Amino acid sequence: MIDFGIYGAQEPRIFAYRCPQCHTAYYPPPMLCAKCSNRRDPSGIVYDDWEKFPLEGACKLLTWTRVWALPEGYDQPYLLFGMVEFPNGLRASGRLEVESPHLGMELIAWVAESSERPGHPVNIFLFSEAAARPLPTNLRCD
Amino acid sequence: MAARVGIAATGQIKFGNLSEYDLVDIMAYAATEAMEDGGIVEKHSIIDQVIVANMGGGIINHQTGIASSLVSRLNLEPASAELVENGPASGASAVKVGWMAIASGLADVVLVVGGETMRKVTGWAATDFVATLLHPEAEYNMGLTLPAFGAMFTRLYMERYGLTERDLALIAVKDHENGAKNKFAHVEETCTIEAIHDNANAHVVNNYVAEPLRLYSVCPVSDGAAAVILVNMDSPKAQQFRKPPIRIAGIGSATDTHCVHNRKDPLALAAVRVSAERAYAMAGLRPADISFAELHDAFVTLEMAISEEVGLFPRGKAVDAVRRGDTRIDGCLPISPSGGLKAKGHPVGATGVSQVVELVRQLRGEAEPGRQVKDPRYGMAVNFGGFANNVVTIICARE
Repeated sequence: MIDFGIYGAQEPRIFAYRCPQCHTAYYPPPMLCAKCSNRRDPSGIVYDDWEKFPLEGACKLLTWTRVWALPEGYDQPYLLFGMVEFPNGLRASGRLEVESPHLGMELIAWVAESSERPGHPVNIFLFSEAAARPLPTNLRCD
Repeated sequence: MAARVGIAATGQIKFGNLSEYDLVDIMAYAATEAMEDGGIVEKHSIIDQVIVANMGGGIINHQTGIASSLVSRLNLEPASAELVENGPASGASAVKVGWMAIASGLADVVLVVGGETMRKVTGWAATDFVATLLHPEAEYNMGLTLPAFGAMFTRLYMERYGLTERDLALIAVKDHENGAKNKFAHVEETCTIEAIHDNANAHVVNNYVAEPLRLYSVCPVSDGAAAVILVNMDSPKAQQFRKPPIRIAGIGSATDTHCVHNRKDPLALAAVRVSAERAYAMAGLRPADISFAELHDAFVTLEMAISEEVGLFPRGKAVDAVRRGDTRIDGCLPISPSGGLKAKGHPVGATGVSQVVELVRQLRGEAEPGRQVKDPRYGMAVNFGGFANNVVTIICARE
């Protein structure tokens, strides 16, 4: 099976990728390395696929917002979102589970499965302060 | 050498809630307004090509093949017709494609029409529709929207350059002052700094949408359509229009990373900067030559950030210009004399074409009293797609 995606199949995970030629890491992954133009081949037929590794754990908050006008499917008065940077330099955007955020604060990135919107469940980032997986009531975390 | 391309005619329908009308009908209305503005009689023989800009016809209106439909609605067969979808930059991209058709010698007269009917669905659904331009797994699935990115951008801008919520309100007051005088604007109301910021109860009318952006920091969800007729200025067909054309002096477009988090500096709008550099180079102009600008202020912070990226103000200094009143209609560099996306409205596929309509009206001296820029020579429009991942800059010149 050709694996184009960034999700883990067994448990809620989100993966980053590393180019085997120049070792540049990406999230989400391109099909060509921006640094050395090496091709990513998810089929593994022509070239070795790139190394994939879970993106989670310690990170730092770069910026954030509390959104009061949510799109269809979200049944809350507001949700918080943030952009974070991991120690390896990769960055990600996702759900912020902190009531009083401030720029530069240390966070932990978790991955949870969300069924808020119609269709297949999707994996999302949750950024929290605590070293325990946050369980927001609006998400189904398997 | 490429043909000289000018804008011979413009047309627009008043932006607002047009949800009772058909998308192609409002586009056809704007197109016929342009034909009337141009005074052309033999429409069938003069229009070689039709380029249509639209982003959400398939998703919102369950309607595809819009370019073919529009040609038929206008009885312009057998003119060739294509649809351009480039997110909220579809409009300026369509003008660029029309410019390319004439510059390449493929056509002498091109009708460009942009249109969108977003209010046929709820505000929630419209927000969701626009969010489909984000990265599907790394952004959209997280629940992120364009206002969320606008807000996170604004928070960083505040942190770095000392921008305040009062500054955002000042831009809104300026935009609504201009928009209230624009016959095509969605919002024709003025607002005061007391009502939306200074008063102790201002937060009641100006509540948060995505912190730190409030209601008066973001554009409305609008329906609308706008049209321009491009001509080869050296073709005999150009003589059939009743007004002298406004020349397209420069067009540039550029892209940036799909995911906002992958930009080294999340405040750098590289696609804006490069698209403007390309437009300046084609026009042989510098930022100091620009008389006024229509900038893509879907969130009012972007008016300042874009004005800095295109070189109208030094980086971090646009906020000082706002406080001094430099960007007001009577200031030294008016920005968004139409009211901008904030007051004129933002029917996504129509916006870029509408910005060019405004450049032409200003350069011809046809804007309404009180919002006419004094003796403009060069006007600039920046149409911003995605969260700045696909941007088109157009510079028009009065000959």
